[in-house]
Amino acid sequence: MTLSAMIGAWIAVFLTLSIFSYLYKDNPFYKIAEHVFVGVSAAYVAAISFWTQIYPNLLGRLFPKDGPLSFTGLEFDFNHSFNILYVFPLLLGLMMILSVFQKFNWMARWGIAYTVAIAAGLKAFGYLNSNVLNQVSASVVSLFGENLPFFNISGDSVFNNIVLLLGTISSLMYFYFSKEQRGNFGKLTRVGIYFLMISFGASFGFAVMGRISLLVGRFRELIAYSEPSYNYSTIWLLFLIIAFLFYHSIREKESNT
Amino acid sequence: MIRNLENLIIKIGDVDRRVIFVLIGLAVLIPLLTPVSLPIRETPTTVKFYEGIEEIPKGSKVLVSFDYGPSTRPEIHPMNVAVLRHMLRNEHKVYISCLWPDGIYMALDALEDISDEFSLKEYEDYVLLGYRPGAEAVIKGLASDLRKVYTVDANGKFIDDIEMMNNVKNLNDFAYIYSGSAGYPGTFEWVKYGGDPTGVRMSSGTTSVQVNEVIPYVRSGQLIGLLAGMPGAAEYEKLVESPGIAIKGMAAQSFAHIVIVVFIIFGNIAFFLKQKKERKYSK
Repeated sequence: MTLSAMIGAWIAVFLTLSIFSYLYKDNPFYKIAEHVFVGVSAAYVAAISFWTQIYPNLLGRLFPKDGPLSFTGLEFDFNHSFNILYVFPLLLGLMMILSVFQKFNWMARWGIAYTVAIAAGLKAFGYLNSNVLNQVSASVVSLFGENLPFFNISGDSVFNNIVLLLGTISSLMYFYFSKEQRGNFGKLTRVGIYFLMISFGASFGFAVMGRISLLVGRFRELIAYSEPSYNYSTIWLLFLIIAFLFYHSIREKESNT
Repeated sequence: MIRNLENLIIKIGDVDRRVIFVLIGLAVLIPLLTPVSLPIRETPTTVKFYEGIEEIPKGSKVLVSFDYGPSTRPEIHPMNVAVLRHMLRNEHKVYISCLWPDGIYMALDALEDISDEFSLKEYEDYVLLGYRPGAEAVIKGLASDLRKVYTVDANGKFIDDIEMMNNVKNLNDFAYIYSGSAGYPGTFEWVKYGGDPTGVRMSSGTTSVQVNEVIPYVRSGQLIGLLAGMPGAAEYEKLVESPGIAIKGMAAQSFAHIVIVVFIIFGNIAFFLKQKKERKYSK
Protein backbone atom coordinates (compact mmCIF):
# COMPACT_ATOMS: atom_id res chain seq x y z
CA MET A 1 0.00 0.00 0.00
CA THR A 2 1.51 3.32 -1.10
CA LEU A 3 1.33 6.35 1.15
CA SER A 4 -0.72 8.31 -1.40
CA ALA A 5 -3.30 5.49 -1.63
CA MET A 6 -3.53 5.45 2.16
CA ILE A 7 -3.98 9.24 2.38
CA GLY A 8 -6.52 9.11 -0.44
CA ALA A 9 -8.53 6.45 1.36
CA TRP A 10 -8.58 8.43 4.63
CA ILE A 11 -9.65 11.61 2.83
CA ALA A 12 -12.38 9.71 0.92
CA VAL A 13 -13.71 8.19 4.15
CA PHE A 14 -13.59 11.49 6.00
CA LEU A 15 -15.48 13.35 3.26
CA THR A 16 -18.08 10.58 2.86
CA LEU A 17 -18.79 10.39 6.59
CA SER A 18 -18.82 14.19 6.82
CA ILE A 19 -21.51 14.38 4.15
CA PHE A 20 -23.47 11.55 5.79
CA SER A 21 -23.32 13.44 9.10
CA TYR A 22 -25.81 15.93 7.63
CA LEU A 23 -28.47 13.24 8.06
CA TYR A 24 -28.12 13.89 11.80
CA LYS A 25 -28.06 17.68 11.46
CA ASP A 26 -26.06 20.54 9.95
CA ASN A 27 -22.58 20.50 11.49
CA PRO A 28 -18.98 21.68 10.88
CA PHE A 29 -17.91 18.38 9.22
CA TYR A 30 -20.64 18.71 6.63
CA LYS A 31 -19.70 22.36 6.02
CA ILE A 32 -16.02 21.42 5.50
CA ALA A 33 -16.91 18.67 3.00
CA GLU A 34 -19.36 20.92 1.17
CA HIS A 35 -16.86 23.78 0.77
CA VAL A 36 -14.04 21.45 -0.26
CA PHE A 37 -16.31 19.90 -2.89
CA VAL A 38 -17.36 23.24 -4.40
CA GLY A 39 -13.81 24.61 -4.44
CA VAL A 40 -12.15 21.51 -5.86
CA SER A 41 -14.85 21.02 -8.53
CA ALA A 42 -14.60 24.62 -9.77
CA ALA A 43 -10.80 24.58 -9.87
CA TYR A 44 -10.65 21.15 -11.48
CA VAL A 45 -13.09 22.03 -14.28
CA ALA A 46 -11.28 25.34 -14.94
CA ALA A 47 -7.86 23.68 -15.11
CA ILE A 48 -8.92 20.74 -17.25
CA SER A 49 -10.90 22.96 -19.65
CA PHE A 50 -7.80 25.08 -20.19
CA TRP A 51 -5.40 22.19 -20.79
CA THR A 52 -7.73 20.08 -22.94
CA GLN A 53 -9.49 22.74 -25.00
CA ILE A 54 -8.05 26.26 -24.88
CA TYR A 55 -4.42 25.17 -24.96
CA PRO A 56 -4.46 22.65 -27.86
CA ASN A 57 -7.52 23.77 -29.84
CA LEU A 58 -7.39 27.56 -29.52
CA LEU A 59 -3.79 28.53 -28.80
CA GLY A 60 -2.59 25.63 -30.96
CA ARG A 61 -4.39 27.13 -33.96
CA LEU A 62 -3.52 30.77 -33.32
CA PHE A 63 0.12 30.20 -32.47
CA PRO A 64 1.15 27.06 -34.38
CA LYS A 65 4.79 26.14 -34.90
CA ASP A 66 6.33 28.31 -37.66
CA GLY A 67 3.03 30.23 -37.96
CA PRO A 68 2.71 33.94 -38.84
CA LEU A 69 2.60 34.86 -35.13
CA SER A 70 5.82 33.00 -34.27
CA PHE A 71 7.60 36.34 -33.92
CA THR A 72 5.71 36.85 -30.65
CA GLY A 73 7.71 33.99 -29.18
CA LEU A 74 4.53 32.01 -28.55
CA GLU A 75 4.48 28.62 -30.29
CA PHE A 76 2.24 25.65 -29.45
CA ASP A 77 2.86 22.59 -31.58
CA PHE A 78 -0.31 20.51 -32.01
CA ASN A 79 0.07 19.70 -35.72
CA HIS A 80 -2.24 22.60 -36.61
CA SER A 81 -1.91 25.23 -39.27
CA PHE A 82 -2.66 28.88 -38.53
CA ASN A 83 -6.37 29.77 -38.66
CA ILE A 84 -7.25 33.45 -38.29
CA LEU A 85 -10.94 32.64 -37.58
CA TYR A 86 -9.98 31.47 -34.10
CA VAL A 87 -9.33 35.12 -33.16
CA PHE A 88 -13.10 35.56 -32.76
CA PRO A 89 -13.63 32.93 -30.02
CA LEU A 90 -10.52 34.30 -28.29
CA LEU A 91 -11.92 37.84 -28.36
CA LEU A 92 -15.41 36.76 -27.24
CA GLY A 93 -13.87 34.74 -24.41
CA LEU A 94 -11.74 37.67 -23.26
CA MET A 95 -14.78 39.95 -23.40
CA MET A 96 -16.69 37.55 -21.17
CA ILE A 97 -13.84 37.53 -18.65
CA LEU A 98 -13.79 41.35 -18.67
CA SER A 99 -17.26 41.32 -17.12
CA VAL A 100 -15.55 41.10 -13.72
CA PHE A 101 -14.79 44.82 -14.16
CA GLN A 102 -17.94 46.89 -13.86
CA LYS A 103 -16.74 49.35 -16.48
CA PHE A 104 -16.50 46.62 -19.14
CA ASN A 105 -19.59 44.77 -18.04
CA TRP A 106 -21.36 45.36 -21.34
CA MET A 107 -18.68 43.44 -23.22
CA ALA A 108 -19.81 40.12 -21.75
CA ARG A 109 -23.16 40.49 -23.53
CA TRP A 110 -21.58 39.86 -26.94
CA GLY A 111 -20.12 36.55 -25.85
CA ILE A 112 -23.30 35.54 -24.06
CA ALA A 113 -25.41 36.55 -27.08
CA TYR A 114 -23.23 34.42 -29.36
CA THR A 115 -23.41 31.43 -27.01
CA VAL A 116 -27.18 31.72 -26.57
CA ALA A 117 -27.77 32.02 -30.32
CA ILE A 118 -25.59 28.99 -31.12
CA ALA A 119 -27.12 26.92 -28.31
CA ALA A 120 -30.67 27.85 -29.30
CA GLY A 121 -30.10 26.91 -32.94
CA LEU A 122 -28.31 23.70 -32.08
CA LYS A 123 -30.87 22.59 -29.52
CA ALA A 124 -33.88 23.51 -31.66
CA PHE A 125 -32.73 21.23 -34.47
CA GLY A 126 -31.78 18.35 -32.15
CA TYR A 127 -34.99 18.57 -30.18
CA LEU A 128 -37.25 18.79 -33.22
CA ASN A 129 -35.55 15.92 -35.01
CA SER A 130 -35.04 13.46 -32.12
CA ASN A 131 -37.76 14.30 -29.63
CA VAL A 132 -40.60 15.47 -31.84
CA LEU A 133 -40.38 13.94 -35.31
CA ASN A 134 -38.86 10.59 -34.31
CA GLN A 135 -41.15 10.21 -31.30
CA VAL A 136 -44.26 11.10 -33.32
CA SER A 137 -43.36 8.56 -35.98
CA ALA A 138 -42.63 5.94 -33.28
CA SER A 139 -46.08 6.46 -31.76
CA VAL A 140 -47.80 5.86 -35.11
CA VAL A 141 -48.44 2.12 -34.90
CA SER A 142 -50.80 -0.27 -36.61
CA LEU A 143 -53.23 -1.13 -33.80
CA PHE A 144 -54.11 -4.60 -35.08
CA GLY A 145 -50.92 -5.39 -36.98
CA GLU A 146 -50.42 -8.73 -38.69
CA ASN A 147 -49.83 -11.73 -36.38
CA LEU A 148 -49.85 -9.43 -33.36
CA PRO A 149 -50.84 -11.22 -30.12
CA PHE A 150 -53.61 -9.58 -28.12
CA PHE A 151 -51.48 -9.42 -24.97
CA ASN A 152 -47.72 -9.53 -24.47
CA ILE A 153 -46.13 -8.02 -21.37
CA SER A 154 -42.70 -7.31 -22.87
CA GLY A 155 -43.24 -6.90 -26.61
CA ASP A 156 -45.63 -5.45 -29.17
CA SER A 157 -49.26 -6.46 -28.78
CA VAL A 158 -52.71 -5.14 -29.62
CA PHE A 159 -53.31 -4.30 -25.96
CA ASN A 160 -50.01 -2.40 -25.65
CA ASN A 161 -50.77 -0.47 -28.84
CA ILE A 162 -54.18 0.57 -27.48
CA VAL A 163 -52.56 1.71 -24.21
CA LEU A 164 -49.96 3.67 -26.23
CA LEU A 165 -52.66 5.37 -28.32
CA LEU A 166 -54.90 6.13 -25.36
CA GLY A 167 -51.98 7.34 -23.20
CA THR A 168 -50.58 9.62 -25.89
CA ILE A 169 -53.88 11.21 -26.87
CA SER A 170 -55.33 11.62 -23.36
CA SER A 171 -52.07 13.04 -21.94
CA LEU A 172 -51.78 15.50 -24.82
CA MET A 173 -55.41 16.53 -24.41
CA TYR A 174 -54.80 17.30 -20.74
CA PHE A 175 -52.49 20.10 -21.88
CA TYR A 176 -55.07 21.49 -24.33
CA PHE A 177 -56.42 24.52 -22.50
CA SER A 178 -58.61 26.14 -25.16
CA LYS A 179 -61.60 24.02 -24.19
CA GLU A 180 -63.03 23.60 -20.72
CA GLN A 181 -62.27 20.13 -19.35
CA ARG A 182 -65.87 19.01 -18.85
CA GLY A 183 -68.16 16.25 -20.12
CA ASN A 184 -66.62 13.61 -22.39
CA PHE A 185 -63.58 15.80 -22.99
CA GLY A 186 -63.12 16.09 -19.21
CA LYS A 187 -63.31 12.30 -18.85
CA LEU A 188 -60.62 11.89 -21.52
CA THR A 189 -58.31 14.42 -19.81
CA ARG A 190 -58.93 12.63 -16.49
CA VAL A 191 -57.56 9.45 -18.08
CA GLY A 192 -54.59 11.56 -19.21
CA ILE A 193 -53.97 12.64 -15.59
CA TYR A 194 -53.88 8.97 -14.54
CA PHE A 195 -51.31 8.20 -17.22
CA LEU A 196 -49.23 11.18 -16.09
CA MET A 197 -49.49 10.09 -12.45
CA ILE A 198 -48.31 6.58 -13.32
CA SER A 199 -45.37 8.17 -15.14
CA PHE A 200 -44.52 10.36 -12.11
CA GLY A 201 -44.77 7.30 -9.85
CA ALA A 202 -42.35 5.40 -12.09
CA SER A 203 -39.98 8.41 -12.03
CA PHE A 204 -40.11 8.49 -8.23
CA GLY A 205 -39.43 4.75 -8.05
CA PHE A 206 -36.45 5.08 -10.37
CA ALA A 207 -35.15 8.06 -8.36
CA VAL A 208 -35.30 6.03 -5.13
CA MET A 209 -33.57 3.12 -6.85
CA GLY A 210 -30.81 5.43 -8.08
CA ARG A 211 -30.16 6.92 -4.67
CA ILE A 212 -30.00 3.50 -3.04
CA SER A 213 -27.51 2.37 -5.72
CA LEU A 214 -25.28 5.32 -4.82
CA LEU A 215 -25.58 4.44 -1.12
CA VAL A 216 -24.59 0.85 -1.93
CA GLY A 217 -21.51 2.20 -3.74
CA ARG A 218 -20.43 4.42 -0.85
CA PHE A 219 -21.01 1.68 1.73
CA ARG A 220 -18.99 -0.75 -0.33
CA GLU A 221 -16.03 1.65 -0.27
CA LEU A 222 -16.45 2.37 3.43
CA ILE A 223 -16.37 -1.39 4.10
CA ALA A 224 -13.25 -1.78 1.95
CA TYR A 225 -11.48 1.05 3.78
CA SER A 226 -12.32 -0.40 7.18
CA GLU A 227 -9.85 -3.22 6.59
CA PRO A 228 -6.47 -3.47 8.40
CA SER A 229 -4.60 -2.59 5.17
CA TYR A 230 -6.12 0.90 5.44
CA ASN A 231 -5.47 1.09 9.19
CA TYR A 232 -9.22 0.77 9.92
CA SER A 233 -9.79 4.28 8.52
CA THR A 234 -13.62 4.00 8.43
CA ILE A 235 -13.87 2.82 12.03
CA TRP A 236 -11.49 5.46 13.42
CA LEU A 237 -13.06 8.33 11.53
CA LEU A 238 -16.62 7.20 12.30
CA PHE A 239 -15.74 7.10 16.00
CA LEU A 240 -14.07 10.52 15.79
CA ILE A 241 -17.00 12.19 14.00
CA ILE A 242 -19.63 10.64 16.32
CA ALA A 243 -17.62 11.70 19.39
CA PHE A 244 -17.29 15.25 18.08
CA LEU A 245 -21.00 15.51 17.20
CA PHE A 246 -21.91 14.20 20.66
CA TYR A 247 -19.64 16.77 22.33
CA HIS A 248 -20.96 19.49 19.98
CA SER A 249 -24.61 18.74 20.84
CA ILE A 250 -23.85 18.79 24.62
CA ARG A 251 -22.10 22.15 24.28
CA GLU A 252 -25.02 23.45 22.22
CA LYS A 253 -27.53 22.36 24.88
CA GLU A 254 -25.42 23.99 27.61
CA SER A 255 -25.18 27.27 25.75
CA ASN A 256 -28.95 27.25 25.11
CA THR A 257 -29.71 26.79 28.82
CA MET B 1 -57.26 -3.39 20.63
CA ILE B 2 -57.92 -1.74 17.25
CA ARG B 3 -57.49 1.70 18.84
CA ASN B 4 -54.09 0.64 20.21
CA LEU B 5 -53.08 -0.63 16.78
CA GLU B 6 -54.21 2.66 15.21
CA ASN B 7 -52.19 4.64 17.76
CA LEU B 8 -49.15 2.46 17.09
CA ILE B 9 -49.42 3.04 13.33
CA ILE B 10 -49.81 6.80 13.88
CA LYS B 11 -46.70 6.72 16.07
CA ILE B 12 -44.77 4.86 13.38
CA GLY B 13 -45.97 7.47 10.87
CA ASP B 14 -44.56 10.21 13.09
CA VAL B 15 -41.22 8.51 13.64
CA ASP B 16 -38.11 10.74 13.52
CA ARG B 17 -36.67 10.76 9.99
CA ARG B 18 -33.24 9.85 11.44
CA VAL B 19 -34.66 6.48 12.51
CA ILE B 20 -35.68 5.84 8.90
CA PHE B 21 -32.16 6.79 7.74
CA VAL B 22 -30.63 4.31 10.19
CA LEU B 23 -33.01 1.51 9.12
CA ILE B 24 -32.29 2.10 5.43
CA GLY B 25 -28.57 2.21 6.24
CA LEU B 26 -28.80 -1.13 8.02
CA ALA B 27 -30.88 -2.64 5.18
CA VAL B 28 -28.05 -1.73 2.80
CA LEU B 29 -25.14 -2.54 5.11
CA ILE B 30 -26.16 -5.99 6.37
CA PRO B 31 -26.51 -7.66 2.91
CA LEU B 32 -23.15 -6.15 1.93
CA LEU B 33 -21.45 -7.61 5.02
CA THR B 34 -23.17 -10.99 4.72
CA PRO B 35 -23.75 -11.49 0.98
CA VAL B 36 -27.13 -12.85 -0.02
CA SER B 37 -27.69 -14.26 -3.49
CA LEU B 38 -30.95 -13.22 -5.14
CA PRO B 39 -32.13 -14.37 -8.58
CA ILE B 40 -31.67 -11.84 -11.39
CA ARG B 41 -34.05 -11.84 -14.35
CA GLU B 42 -33.07 -9.99 -17.52
CA THR B 43 -35.49 -7.31 -18.70
CA PRO B 44 -36.25 -6.95 -22.45
CA THR B 45 -34.32 -3.65 -22.75
CA THR B 46 -31.15 -5.28 -21.35
CA VAL B 47 -31.52 -8.30 -23.64
CA LYS B 48 -32.00 -5.94 -26.61
CA PHE B 49 -28.85 -4.09 -25.56
CA TYR B 50 -26.87 -7.33 -25.37
CA GLU B 51 -28.14 -8.50 -28.76
CA GLY B 52 -27.34 -5.09 -30.25
CA ILE B 53 -23.68 -5.46 -29.30
CA GLU B 54 -23.63 -9.09 -30.45
CA GLU B 55 -24.84 -7.96 -33.88
CA ILE B 56 -21.81 -5.71 -34.47
CA PRO B 57 -19.43 -7.44 -36.93
CA LYS B 58 -16.28 -8.69 -35.15
CA GLY B 59 -13.32 -6.35 -35.16
CA SER B 60 -15.42 -3.20 -35.68
CA LYS B 61 -14.58 0.26 -34.43
CA VAL B 62 -16.78 1.23 -31.49
CA LEU B 63 -16.99 4.51 -29.62
CA VAL B 64 -17.49 4.29 -25.87
CA SER B 65 -18.23 7.52 -24.03
CA PHE B 66 -17.68 7.87 -20.29
CA ASP B 67 -20.20 10.55 -19.37
CA TYR B 68 -20.27 10.31 -15.59
CA GLY B 69 -18.20 11.08 -12.52
CA PRO B 70 -17.48 9.63 -9.08
CA SER B 71 -20.90 10.70 -7.75
CA THR B 72 -22.74 8.27 -10.04
CA ARG B 73 -19.95 5.70 -10.33
CA PRO B 74 -21.80 2.91 -8.42
CA GLU B 75 -24.52 2.86 -11.06
CA ILE B 76 -22.65 3.44 -14.31
CA HIS B 77 -19.19 2.01 -13.69
CA PRO B 78 -20.24 -1.68 -13.42
CA MET B 79 -22.12 -1.47 -16.71
CA ASN B 80 -19.26 0.30 -18.48
CA VAL B 81 -16.78 -2.34 -17.30
CA ALA B 82 -19.15 -5.09 -18.54
CA VAL B 83 -19.66 -3.28 -21.87
CA LEU B 84 -15.88 -2.95 -22.40
CA ARG B 85 -15.49 -6.62 -21.53
CA HIS B 86 -18.18 -7.62 -24.03
CA MET B 87 -16.72 -5.44 -26.78
CA LEU B 88 -13.15 -6.61 -26.27
CA ARG B 89 -14.30 -10.23 -26.14
CA ASN B 90 -15.81 -9.64 -29.61
CA GLU B 91 -12.44 -8.22 -30.74
CA HIS B 92 -13.72 -4.71 -31.37
CA LYS B 93 -11.41 -1.72 -31.42
CA VAL B 94 -12.50 0.63 -28.65
CA TYR B 95 -12.28 4.43 -28.86
CA ILE B 96 -13.00 6.17 -25.56
CA SER B 97 -14.27 9.74 -25.25
CA CYS B 98 -15.49 11.65 -22.19
CA LEU B 99 -18.03 14.47 -22.02
CA TRP B 100 -17.56 14.80 -18.26
CA PRO B 101 -14.26 16.15 -16.87
CA ASP B 102 -13.81 13.28 -14.41
CA GLY B 103 -14.96 10.71 -16.96
CA ILE B 104 -11.35 10.18 -17.94
CA TYR B 105 -10.50 8.81 -14.48
CA MET B 106 -13.53 6.55 -14.65
CA ALA B 107 -12.28 5.29 -18.02
CA LEU B 108 -8.77 4.68 -16.65
CA ASP B 109 -10.24 2.74 -13.70
CA ALA B 110 -12.43 0.63 -15.99
CA LEU B 111 -9.47 -0.15 -18.27
CA GLU B 112 -7.36 -1.11 -15.26
CA ASP B 113 -10.11 -3.48 -14.06
CA ILE B 114 -9.97 -5.51 -17.29
CA SER B 115 -6.38 -4.88 -18.33
CA ASP B 116 -4.98 -8.24 -17.20
CA GLU B 117 -7.95 -10.23 -18.44
CA PHE B 118 -7.45 -9.06 -22.05
CA SER B 119 -3.73 -8.16 -21.91
CA LEU B 120 -4.79 -4.73 -23.10
CA LYS B 121 -2.41 -2.69 -25.22
CA GLU B 122 -3.03 0.99 -25.72
CA TYR B 123 -3.14 2.06 -29.40
CA GLU B 124 -3.72 -1.57 -30.41
CA ASP B 125 -6.89 -2.48 -28.52
CA TYR B 126 -8.09 0.94 -27.48
CA VAL B 127 -7.46 4.67 -27.74
CA LEU B 128 -8.28 6.95 -24.84
CA LEU B 129 -9.24 10.19 -26.56
CA GLY B 130 -10.04 11.89 -23.29
CA TYR B 131 -12.24 14.76 -22.19
CA ARG B 132 -13.25 17.82 -24.17
CA PRO B 133 -15.51 20.55 -22.78
CA GLY B 134 -18.44 21.71 -24.88
CA ALA B 135 -21.11 19.03 -24.37
CA GLU B 136 -23.30 18.84 -27.50
CA ALA B 137 -20.79 20.96 -29.43
CA VAL B 138 -18.22 18.18 -28.91
CA ILE B 139 -20.63 15.55 -30.29
CA LYS B 140 -21.50 17.83 -33.22
CA GLY B 141 -17.77 18.24 -33.84
CA LEU B 142 -17.19 14.47 -33.71
CA ALA B 143 -20.03 13.99 -36.20
CA SER B 144 -18.41 16.32 -38.72
CA ASP B 145 -14.63 16.11 -38.11
CA LEU B 146 -13.11 14.24 -35.17
CA ARG B 147 -9.74 15.96 -35.63
CA LYS B 148 -11.25 19.38 -34.99
CA VAL B 149 -12.22 18.21 -31.51
CA TYR B 150 -9.32 15.87 -30.75
CA THR B 151 -5.92 16.97 -31.98
CA VAL B 152 -4.18 14.94 -29.27
CA ASP B 153 -5.35 12.00 -27.18
CA ALA B 154 -5.47 11.82 -23.38
CA ASN B 155 -1.69 11.22 -23.25
CA GLY B 156 -0.96 14.23 -25.44
CA LYS B 157 -0.04 12.07 -28.43
CA PHE B 158 -0.95 13.52 -31.83
CA ILE B 159 -4.06 11.85 -33.24
CA ASP B 160 -2.39 11.69 -36.67
CA ASP B 161 0.48 9.69 -35.16
CA ILE B 162 -1.86 6.96 -33.82
CA GLU B 163 -2.26 4.08 -36.25
CA MET B 164 -5.64 3.09 -34.85
CA MET B 165 -6.94 6.53 -35.81
CA ASN B 166 -6.21 6.01 -39.52
CA ASN B 167 -9.46 6.06 -41.49
CA VAL B 168 -11.35 7.51 -38.53
CA LYS B 169 -12.62 10.88 -39.68
CA ASN B 170 -15.94 11.25 -37.91
CA LEU B 171 -18.75 9.33 -36.19
CA ASN B 172 -19.75 7.65 -39.46
CA ASP B 173 -16.57 5.58 -39.27
CA PHE B 174 -17.76 3.84 -36.11
CA ALA B 175 -20.02 0.79 -36.18
CA TYR B 176 -21.54 1.54 -32.81
CA ILE B 177 -21.74 4.30 -30.20
CA TYR B 178 -22.27 3.62 -26.52
CA SER B 179 -22.68 6.27 -23.83
CA GLY B 180 -22.53 5.46 -20.11
CA SER B 181 -24.38 8.54 -18.99
CA ALA B 182 -25.31 10.10 -15.67
CA GLY B 183 -27.07 13.22 -16.96
CA TYR B 184 -26.08 16.26 -18.97
CA PRO B 185 -24.18 15.92 -21.25
CA GLY B 186 -24.94 12.30 -22.00
CA THR B 187 -27.50 10.02 -23.61
CA PHE B 188 -29.90 12.74 -24.79
CA GLU B 189 -27.12 14.69 -26.48
CA TRP B 190 -25.62 11.58 -28.08
CA VAL B 191 -29.02 10.64 -29.52
CA LYS B 192 -29.76 14.16 -30.79
CA TYR B 193 -26.37 15.10 -32.22
CA GLY B 194 -24.62 11.76 -32.65
CA GLY B 195 -26.87 8.78 -33.35
CA ASP B 196 -29.84 10.40 -35.11
CA PRO B 197 -28.03 12.71 -37.58
CA THR B 198 -25.41 10.10 -38.57
CA GLY B 199 -27.56 6.98 -38.43
CA VAL B 200 -24.84 5.11 -36.52
CA ARG B 201 -26.40 2.47 -34.25
CA MET B 202 -26.13 3.47 -30.64
CA SER B 203 -27.15 2.57 -27.14
CA SER B 204 -26.70 3.73 -23.62
CA GLY B 205 -26.45 2.84 -19.97
CA THR B 206 -28.03 5.42 -17.69
CA THR B 207 -28.67 6.18 -14.04
CA SER B 208 -32.07 5.04 -12.75
CA VAL B 209 -33.22 8.66 -12.47
CA GLN B 210 -32.98 9.11 -16.26
CA VAL B 211 -34.64 5.87 -17.31
CA ASN B 212 -38.18 7.21 -17.56
CA GLU B 213 -37.08 9.93 -19.95
CA VAL B 214 -34.71 7.81 -22.02
CA ILE B 215 -36.94 4.76 -22.49
CA PRO B 216 -39.01 6.32 -25.36
CA TYR B 217 -35.81 6.33 -27.42
CA VAL B 218 -35.66 2.53 -27.10
CA ARG B 219 -39.19 2.07 -28.38
CA SER B 220 -38.55 4.36 -31.33
CA GLY B 221 -35.35 2.49 -32.19
CA GLN B 222 -33.12 5.52 -31.59
CA LEU B 223 -31.39 3.41 -28.92
CA ILE B 224 -30.74 -0.30 -29.33
CA GLY B 225 -31.74 -1.39 -25.83
CA LEU B 226 -30.84 0.27 -22.57
CA LEU B 227 -29.05 -0.55 -19.32
CA ALA B 228 -31.21 0.95 -16.59
CA GLY B 229 -29.26 1.77 -13.42
CA MET B 230 -27.66 -0.79 -11.15
CA PRO B 231 -30.28 -3.49 -11.89
CA GLY B 232 -29.57 -3.06 -15.61
CA ALA B 233 -25.85 -3.44 -14.91
CA ALA B 234 -26.47 -6.59 -12.85
CA GLU B 235 -28.62 -8.11 -15.61
CA TYR B 236 -25.95 -7.32 -18.18
CA GLU B 237 -23.19 -8.77 -16.00
CA LYS B 238 -25.25 -11.96 -15.93
CA LEU B 239 -25.68 -11.95 -19.73
CA VAL B 240 -21.95 -11.49 -20.41
CA GLU B 241 -21.23 -14.12 -17.73
CA SER B 242 -18.90 -11.97 -15.68
CA PRO B 243 -20.54 -11.40 -12.29
CA GLY B 244 -19.29 -8.16 -10.80
CA ILE B 245 -20.09 -5.48 -8.27
CA ALA B 246 -23.58 -4.76 -9.65
CA ILE B 247 -24.80 -8.32 -8.99
CA LYS B 248 -23.28 -8.18 -5.49
CA GLY B 249 -25.12 -4.93 -4.75
CA MET B 250 -28.57 -6.13 -5.80
CA ALA B 251 -29.43 -7.80 -2.48
CA ALA B 252 -28.70 -4.56 -0.61
CA GLN B 253 -30.77 -2.66 -3.16
CA SER B 254 -33.72 -5.04 -2.79
CA PHE B 255 -33.73 -4.96 1.04
CA ALA B 256 -33.56 -1.16 1.06
CA HIS B 257 -36.53 -1.05 -1.33
CA ILE B 258 -38.54 -3.30 1.01
CA VAL B 259 -37.84 -0.96 3.96
CA ILE B 260 -38.87 2.08 1.88
CA VAL B 261 -42.06 0.41 0.64
CA VAL B 262 -42.97 -0.61 4.21
CA PHE B 263 -42.49 2.98 5.40
CA ILE B 264 -44.52 4.36 2.47
CA ILE B 265 -47.40 2.00 3.37
CA PHE B 266 -47.21 2.85 7.09
CA GLY B 267 -46.87 6.55 6.31
CA ASN B 268 -49.98 6.52 4.15
CA ILE B 269 -52.06 4.49 6.63
CA ALA B 270 -50.91 6.81 9.44
CA PHE B 271 -51.85 9.85 7.33
CA PHE B 272 -55.40 8.59 6.75
CA LEU B 273 -55.84 7.47 10.38
CA LYS B 274 -54.69 10.89 11.55
CA GLN B 275 -57.13 12.60 9.19
CA LYS B 276 -59.92 10.35 10.47
CA LYS B 277 -59.04 11.20 14.07
CA GLU B 278 -58.90 14.95 13.36
CA ARG B 279 -62.29 14.84 11.63
CA LYS B 280 -63.74 12.97 14.62
CA TYR B 281 -62.51 15.58 17.13
CA SER B 282 -63.43 18.57 14.99
CA LYS B 283 -67.12 17.52 14.93
